[in-house]
Amino acid sequence: MGTKNILLNVFKKYLAIGLVGITVTDRYGGVCPIRGSSMSPTFNPSLESFTDDYVFLEKFCLDKYKFSHGDVVIFSDPTNYKERCVKRILAMEGDYISNVGGVVKVPEGHCWVEGDNSASSFDSRSFGPIPLGLIHGRVTHIVWPPQRIRKIDRRIPQEGLAM
Amino acid sequence: MVTPNFFWTVCKSSFTVGLIGLTISDRVASIVPVRGFSMSPTFNPHESTSLGLFTDDHVLVEKRCLTDYKFSHGDVVVFCSPSSYKEKHIKRITAMPGDWISVPYSYDTVKIPEGHCWVEGDNPTNSMDSRSFGPIPLGLIRGRVTHILWPPQRVGKIDRKFPQSGLAF
Repeated sequence: MGTKNILLNVFKKYLAIGLVGITVTDRYGGVCPIRGSSMSPTFNPSLESFTDDYVFLEKFCLDKYKFSHGDVVIFSDPTNYKERCVKRILAMEGDYISNVGGVVKVPEGHCWVEGDNSASSFDSRSFGPIPLGLIHGRVTHIVWPPQRIRKIDRRIPQEGLAM
Repeated sequence: MVTPNFFWTVCKSSFTVGLIGLTISDRVASIVPVRGFSMSPTFNPHESTSLGLFTDDHVLVEKRCLTDYKFSHGDVVVFCSPSSYKEKHIKRITAMPGDWISVPYSYDTVKIPEGHCWVEGDNPTNSMDSRSFGPIPLGLIRGRVTHILWPPQRVGKIDRKFPQSGLAF
């Protein structure tokens, strides 16, 4: 009888911890790995380390919907909804962006995202502006590997935006 | 010593119940009211009077489809509006990626791009849907409607309805 009680208690504790973990990851923040080099040198600068960068993703911005120019965000790929991409927001709704093929106005409720490594990035220059509803969270810090732990700053780009 | 222990136990129990409820609502299913008449007669078939909240249909939205990603023609889905991301809409999927749709009032046909779908309300005269804002990315979908749960006389399963008009192959 003693063993059963102990097992039940342990099970309940792990269940509670698991639930708290799931809820926090869904609603507030989490850690995820970055693949690919479309955001070099901000993430995964090619020769510096063995492992992919892991970043902290915060989801408080989703409730208040406070995105702005220069934020690095994680969003569902509009061409393949099973995958997620990480890019930087270059323009919000109402801005004009100069793309190959002319000047594009970003429609209401959308934003324009581009990777920091323009040469090797599949972004809004290919699939156009994305609805803000696709965004899953905003990247605030790199948390791994230890030598690259740092805050991600908002960087306002100078070229490309025609106001 | 009984009262503080009892109070603490009640606190822990309600916290756990709250967490379980939140997790189920986020990942398994939740109940939402349907506003507006863009999906008549499937939802809200009658013009509402001042009763409002009591006569809106409440539906069960299941979210398991988001992990399995199994959407198909005729599903009624809840999605974030592409022009106003704080709002959610309920419409029916009438075309999936690769299908061709004929745009009303013009002679164009639009091919649905990869990863997008075309949504329309069952009540075409009173519905703001893909005919206004174009195909939407499947990533905007937040769940699929399976049953009406309220009012009691309208409890039932929502069927997939395949539309006959508008699709040009």
